[in-house]
Amino acid sequence: MTGAADGLLVSRDLSKRFGGLVAVDSLDMAVRPQEILGLIGPNGSGKTTFFNVVTGIYPTSGGVVEFDGKDITDFSPQAVYRAGIARTFQRSRLSLSLSVFDNVMVGNHMRLDQGLWFNLVARKDFKRQFEENFERARDLVKVFDPPLADRMFEAVGTFPMIDRRRIEICRALISRPKLLLLDEPSAGMTHDETKELMDDLLEIKGRLEDLTIIIIEHEMGVIERITDTCVVLNFGQKICEGPYQEVAEDKLVQEAYLGIQ
Amino acid sequence: MDVGLFAQYVMNGLMLGMMYALVAVGFTLFFGVLDIINFSHGDVLTVGAFTGLATYLGLSKIGITWAPAQVVIVLLVATTCMAALGAVIARYLVLPLKAAPALNTLLLTLMLGTVLHEAIRLFYPLGANPQRFPPLLPTTAYSFGNFTLRVDSVMLLLAGLAVIVGIHLVINKTKLGLAIRAVAQDEETAKTMGINFTLIVLVTFAIGSGLAAFAGILHGLYYSEINFAMGLLLGVIGFSSAIVGGLGNIYGAIIGGFLFAALQTIGVLAMPFASAYKDVFAFGVIILIMAWRPTGLISEKISERV
Amino acid sequence: MSKARAVFAVLLPGIGSAVAVTVYVILLLAVESQAAIAALLVAGVIVVLAAARFGGMARIGRSFAERENAMNLVIVLAVLAVTGFFYEDHFVLLLMATVIIYVIACLGLNLQFGYAGTLNFAGAAFFGVGCYTAAVLTKHTAMPHLLILVAGGVMAAVIGSLLILPVLRTRSHYSAVVTIAFALLFKIFLEVNDTLGGPQGLPVDGMNVLGWEFNDNIEIGEDFEVAFYVNYIVVGLIVLALAFTFVRRLERSWVGLNLDALRLDETAAACFGLNITRWKITAFTLGNFLTGVAGALYAMMLGFIAPTNFTFGDSLILVSIILLGGIGNPWGLVVATTILIILPEKLQVIQEYRFLLFGAMVILILLFRPEGLLPRPLRTYLPGWQPK
Repeated sequence: MTGAADGLLVSRDLSKRFGGLVAVDSLDMAVRPQEILGLIGPNGSGKTTFFNVVTGIYPTSGGVVEFDGKDITDFSPQAVYRAGIARTFQRSRLSLSLSVFDNVMVGNHMRLDQGLWFNLVARKDFKRQFEENFERARDLVKVFDPPLADRMFEAVGTFPMIDRRRIEICRALISRPKLLLLDEPSAGMTHDETKELMDDLLEIKGRLEDLTIIIIEHEMGVIERITDTCVVLNFGQKICEGPYQEVAEDKLVQEAYLGIQ
Repeated sequence: MDVGLFAQYVMNGLMLGMMYALVAVGFTLFFGVLDIINFSHGDVLTVGAFTGLATYLGLSKIGITWAPAQVVIVLLVATTCMAALGAVIARYLVLPLKAAPALNTLLLTLMLGTVLHEAIRLFYPLGANPQRFPPLLPTTAYSFGNFTLRVDSVMLLLAGLAVIVGIHLVINKTKLGLAIRAVAQDEETAKTMGINFTLIVLVTFAIGSGLAAFAGILHGLYYSEINFAMGLLLGVIGFSSAIVGGLGNIYGAIIGGFLFAALQTIGVLAMPFASAYKDVFAFGVIILIMAWRPTGLISEKISERV
Repeated sequence: MSKARAVFAVLLPGIGSAVAVTVYVILLLAVESQAAIAALLVAGVIVVLAAARFGGMARIGRSFAERENAMNLVIVLAVLAVTGFFYEDHFVLLLMATVIIYVIACLGLNLQFGYAGTLNFAGAAFFGVGCYTAAVLTKHTAMPHLLILVAGGVMAAVIGSLLILPVLRTRSHYSAVVTIAFALLFKIFLEVNDTLGGPQGLPVDGMNVLGWEFNDNIEIGEDFEVAFYVNYIVVGLIVLALAFTFVRRLERSWVGLNLDALRLDETAAACFGLNITRWKITAFTLGNFLTGVAGALYAMMLGFIAPTNFTFGDSLILVSIILLGGIGNPWGLVVATTILIILPEKLQVIQEYRFLLFGAMVILILLFRPEGLLPRPLRTYLPGWQPK
């Protein structure tokens, strides 16, 4: 009987094929509760595809995904979210014409009453729910960037990339997921901005005890700094795993990256 | 069912299929290179037909009455003019909207189609009425019982077939065709390989619109009549044929066109009292197909980077 | 004392502009000479551009945004004022009632497109469903007429559900084509089929509520006869107020957020638990409901309907209104409907070229100002609310 002993998120023999192309190849991996796991590998090694399969965007071509002891293979994206997994996207997928608050609230879907009666008629109750969740959203955003918290009702499109990344992470965190999947959060940011973002991430992790993170990154400095362990993919296959120091020394890994420092 | 009558229906069906197929190929070409639905296509067909008619009238005025010459000139003028129109549409209306949601382009081209057929209705002399199209091809016909085999019908079918084969050759055996296919597959890579993206788009639109003009002239020659509103129905059915075949797939579009014509012909054959319903039937089928197989019977390649 | 002054200061641009527009509209509707109308139009455009240039538009916008309920009342009073001015003029009153009814129909389309992102090219067809429902129910049943309005909406929603499967399963520009096919199918079917009157159409009973016959002119005393269209203007305003409030509240709620999320990025929305199917169906159905109600009211007002009222071109006019007004902005809808319905009626030269001009207008809008006249503002869930 599988359980949290095996890992919070476990994939067994997971595969994903697109016609003739094998994007994920019989992948066995596991992340332990409260761990930060780095998922690394050259471009096209299947990292984002792995996220997409786990979150139900792509159907699997074989294998099993388990979360918190439950089989979630081929769950719909909605069901994966309800199970407690939230994510960010490689190319930032925020709604630029909506406000910061709106975007964060999209992530809060589970906690918001969606009924027509509630939203159209019971306006007093709606107001209460609105104010509660505004506080929550603002407090979360404040952790990442206090000035941002004063601009909750401005359009996201007016903010620079680093703020957008922050907002996207807040959107993923607002529902208090058990597992957070981060897809290249530092893409498009300077060294200093990345450091700031990682500071904030670690602070959040400190506050939310029950949070597990899998992070895809190309910046090895980030991986070295914040992850407890790594999994390295190449051509969809796992070629190495372990703490960053070990993985960085591995011959196969160095070959795969062709000249990693 | 009388064999002759049946043969007549088959003939009508083939001609209809040919027209749908030509329109469908245009739609599929536009979608292939730019991922957009160009809903002015049916009305470009109409403009092409009217251009042909006007050319004929002009030719008669200046004394050119030898039918073969008329046919050739009418076709040439109509197809070149529409090719030019297609390129202009691509350059000034479609390409500027490349970054906007696809719906905007659909809307814009739909409105453009409206502008085109309204222009005909308002500005062509007596444009609101159906116009008689001259019989430019030999009118000899052979009767086999109930079936009248018109020589011009055979010529039109053969011409249509030749055009389709021609398109196939251009797309598959020429450098231009290769460039078009490259752009349709992956715009970025095609550009990095040195292909002039804008030029290829313009050429593709020109080809598609030229095909529409040809189909319009075909319509005029076969039915001896054209009217300003004929583009909408042909456009919707042509587009649906392209979908049935899988948008982006030329052979699928051709098959789809003939499939739709077959459907309508069978529908009319099976329910002779309901021939007025043949368009209703066609649209109903379109809706059902979209419900059942939204990406067509042959699937289209959709890729969205997640 | 200063609070009252502050409120007044905010309200002033709004009330001022409402009064100015009321006078302008009365002039425009009253004048017959084409030259005078053209002059008025040019003057109007100049004034609006000048107002935009000198920040007047922003101030008017503030009035509407901060004192919404008061401004809504002002607008209603303005409409009633214009109605009162033209109490005998059948033509003008019919025009006003038509505008009100078209706004209701477009609110429905706006729900589908502006919020959920599904462009419905069969708006006139669903409007027609409402009309035909009214025709059949008034002549063949004793259903109370107010209920028939609702029935018109329900029928439109039900017929709309026939299209729901293809609309759900296709991407936005494909589902638009499905609605085009339906629009064409609807008109051809009505013409070819005689059960619903065929090309000749059907008669419709005028509205009759509690004995008050809507299609009779109202006689007050011995000299006053008020054109019966006033009845429809009043009912129309009531229905419009309800529809407007409904759509507004919907947008300013989690439901509105869901619709926007699914319009802007379906994949991401799904990853955060949004049930795409449910919300697309909701928006599509509610939108068709509103359009159907508008149709039923229209049919009763006209007393007669025929398939020529519901061509594909008519659907395109509805779409043009939404694009001109500003996608997702209900006030923009009101302005756009007024312009696109009244202008062709007053400026005869436009009437003939209507489709051509509207088509060209939409093309220009899409190329140069896709947000429309009144771009949609950011969502304010609770107007006037400030964070602590």
